[in-house]
Amino acid sequence: MKKNANKTYFDRVHSWGRISTISALCVLLMFPIAVTLYLDVSPSVTAILQGLLKLIPTYWTVAVVEVIVYTPMLGAGGTYLSFVTGNIANLKLPCAINAMEGAKVKANSEEGEVISTISIATSAIVTTIVLAIGIIAFAPFLTTFTNSALLKPAFAQVLPALFGALGAGYFIKHWRISFFPIIIMIIVLIFAPTMGASTLLFVGIVASVGGALFMYKKGLLDKVA
Amino acid sequence: MVDFKESPALYLIAGAVILFVLAQSLFFLVKAWQHGKELGIDKKKLKNAVTSSALFTVPSALSVLATVIALAPALGLVIPWVRLSVIGNLMYETTAAEAAMEAFGHQGGIAVPVTDPEVYAGVAWVMTLGICFSLVVLPFLAKPLNKKFLSAGKKEAEEAKADAENTAPADTKKKRNLGDFINKFATPAIFIGLIGAFIARAIIGAGKPETFGDGAGVLSIITLVVAVAVSILLEIFAKKLKLTWLEPFVMPIGMIIAMIAAIIFFNILPEDIAMLEWRG
Repeated sequence: MKKNANKTYFDRVHSWGRISTISALCVLLMFPIAVTLYLDVSPSVTAILQGLLKLIPTYWTVAVVEVIVYTPMLGAGGTYLSFVTGNIANLKLPCAINAMEGAKVKANSEEGEVISTISIATSAIVTTIVLAIGIIAFAPFLTTFTNSALLKPAFAQVLPALFGALGAGYFIKHWRISFFPIIIMIIVLIFAPTMGASTLLFVGIVASVGGALFMYKKGLLDKVA
Repeated sequence: MVDFKESPALYLIAGAVILFVLAQSLFFLVKAWQHGKELGIDKKKLKNAVTSSALFTVPSALSVLATVIALAPALGLVIPWVRLSVIGNLMYETTAAEAAMEAFGHQGGIAVPVTDPEVYAGVAWVMTLGICFSLVVLPFLAKPLNKKFLSAGKKEAEEAKADAENTAPADTKKKRNLGDFINKFATPAIFIGLIGAFIARAIIGAGKPETFGDGAGVLSIITLVVAVAVSILLEIFAKKLKLTWLEPFVMPIGMIIAMIAAIIFFNILPEDIAMLEWRG
């Protein structure tokens, strides 16, 4: 009896998940279409493809890896919601783990499924509301901010600030695998100083994953694991 | 003249996309809650999951907001808002914006405002198509992966039970295979590669000689060092004193302090040193 109920709930979650994911994809694609129609412009398809060519090798590979890695940890409902709303590694996943630990349930149980879905849905709603409030509050001052001579150096240095702060957590936890890719990228930049971040990150990811795999095979990461 | 990037119609388009995401989350929340009650999970437990998740989210949501605002000088608020509300991620969106701008020949990256509506629409296309692939594969992969995991859970429980009965020493030899590597290290390695690209550029990358702020120089190094140092110190501080509430705030605090440091050093250093970018 219980087994049947189990099956029905998970099957229903997957049906809802599939429908809502495909709908989200359509809604998402409507955005650039609406922007293009509203602004009455026709952006160069070649430039769009050039931009995409830099992203697709990494982003689309990462997308598949992320689905494989995160799906087991997030539960069924949590997976569909997390992939639509994003910020998985830095927000949805730790949030769901935190809630499941608090409720003392296991990720691969039906109770875990419920708690993880509730946690991720709440997180998605809160993020959306915080962003909406922040943006509505910030919009009137945007030009003042961006035109401010005082704030100009801060906005000019937003990338080192953002990635330095974001990277710190990874560097502490995974310092063994951090040195190699950064050194490789610095060497690449010495010879090709104008290489854009989007091309460089491809080099970085290959070096990082390759280096980590080498160290893993040699047993150098056993302590971390 | 009103900036086209801030037109109310664009906000309405963004609002419609965001309402969809909100509705989907609410739907799943209600369904999971109902099923939790069917399973007999204590209502208090369900409520706690909501409260703790909401509290857990606020600081990270603020760092997402910080990214939206960081991208705003170049792109306005609408594109970053939509991109970070749907699938978006702190790292991916900044990278995608840079790649899109490069492809459209926009000089100076996110340090310089986009003024051409054609480039703006093009950036919207590149950022959307670049990030959407997970939603294409998810409907095919999620169900089989999830089923496999649930059956693994049952097997694990059975094995734990068998282990408890059988006191034979556990196999201490570590299993080393590709699946285990992907599970433990693929994601951090990918993230480090991605983050590292921006860090390497802040150390030694070149920008356009006529633009300030797009190449490595005194100010980019100072900002980077402050961001890393403050975040590491705060992280250690939070761990040592067991201040778990502080941990999610580490990234936004580190980022904001680093940006403040950029302003301070820009003003106190002699102009030729503050504006020095060694490779243009």
